[in-house]
Amino acid sequence: MSKSQHDRTHHAKKATGIGDPQCFKGEAGSAKFKVGDKVRIRDLPDLFYTRCQVYTRGAVGTVVALVYESPAAEDEAWDNTDKPEWFYSVKFRQKDLWPEYHDVYANDTLETEFSERWLEKA
Amino acid sequence: MSDKHKPQPMVDEISDFEVLETAVRELAIEKGLFSAEDHRRWTEYVHTLGPVPAARLVAKAWLDPEYKKLAVKDGVKASLAVGVDWINSPPTGFGTPSDYCNLRVLEDTPKLKHVVVCTLCSCYPRPILGQSPEWYRTPNYRRRLVRWPRQVLAEFGLQLPPDVEIRVADSNQKTRYIVLPVRPAGTEGWTEDQLAEIVTRDCLIGVAVPKPGVTTNEKRPVRPAVHPVHHDH
Repeated sequence: MSKSQHDRTHHAKKATGIGDPQCFKGEAGSAKFKVGDKVRIRDLPDLFYTRCQVYTRGAVGTVVALVYESPAAEDEAWDNTDKPEWFYSVKFRQKDLWPEYHDVYANDTLETEFSERWLEKA
Repeated sequence: MSDKHKPQPMVDEISDFEVLETAVRELAIEKGLFSAEDHRRWTEYVHTLGPVPAARLVAKAWLDPEYKKLAVKDGVKASLAVGVDWINSPPTGFGTPSDYCNLRVLEDTPKLKHVVVCTLCSCYPRPILGQSPEWYRTPNYRRRLVRWPRQVLAEFGLQLPPDVEIRVADSNQKTRYIVLPVRPAGTEGWTEDQLAEIVTRDCLIGVAVPKPGVTTNEKRPVRPAVHPVHHDH
């Protein structure tokens, strides 16, 4: 994985005229989850970097969209872009995130995205 | 002694930040990491940005059900109709490096109201909405909106019945969002221009709803910069 020098043309060559994350389309293989699936957010180690918010760990939500394919931020932030994965938009009931969320507002929800590694079947 | 009686400084004070900004920019140009031309082009691109295209997208969607469907299904494609190409409008030709190319349009209904935040930093749909507000970047907004959306929205003067679902969208990866609010009553027969005028930046973030007669964000204190940017182009 270690690269002696950062290739300053790689990203532009890959994405020009295409866009990011469009340039990773088709590189993640088959998606493990589909819209409607109940998923639990895994509590993976987050030493040095993550974009999976701590407030979602262990919570169960519903996949509402497969949004795109892309390297996970945890890889891309260190210039490792060779293993794209599926990204999912997941909706949670607020009650399932915050213990004090009031029953009066039981319909309230929160939606945010996860790469596939963060999800397990609930 | 009151502030009034202090002598005026003889020269403009240059802050540490400004000294460092010049050092970094000159070094990057000297080493060929980017050119002075690149720097100027990016600044000029940023000067073209603002909330008007997103407001127009909303107005178009209100007037054209087919376009609304497209906007909700494919925000990137729908943006083209208001002159914003997420891939080719920025100087890169591959989208802006920090906003990416995956706009989603969140459609409100009488039973669903969206509001957007980036808890991890300040991700914002700049190509179609312009610069993020200062408050949007604060740890306060980022900490509180996801957990106490009704309290935060109430501070913004927006309250919704308990049975309306409030959905907070946390922009934590490559998607950026704008909110497509419900078209308010009292706008029957309005033109696209008239409708777009009431869709303020705050409506597109979700902290306000459009109201006939209200064509600016709510007035709040503005903290002045020491050396502000002048938009005198």
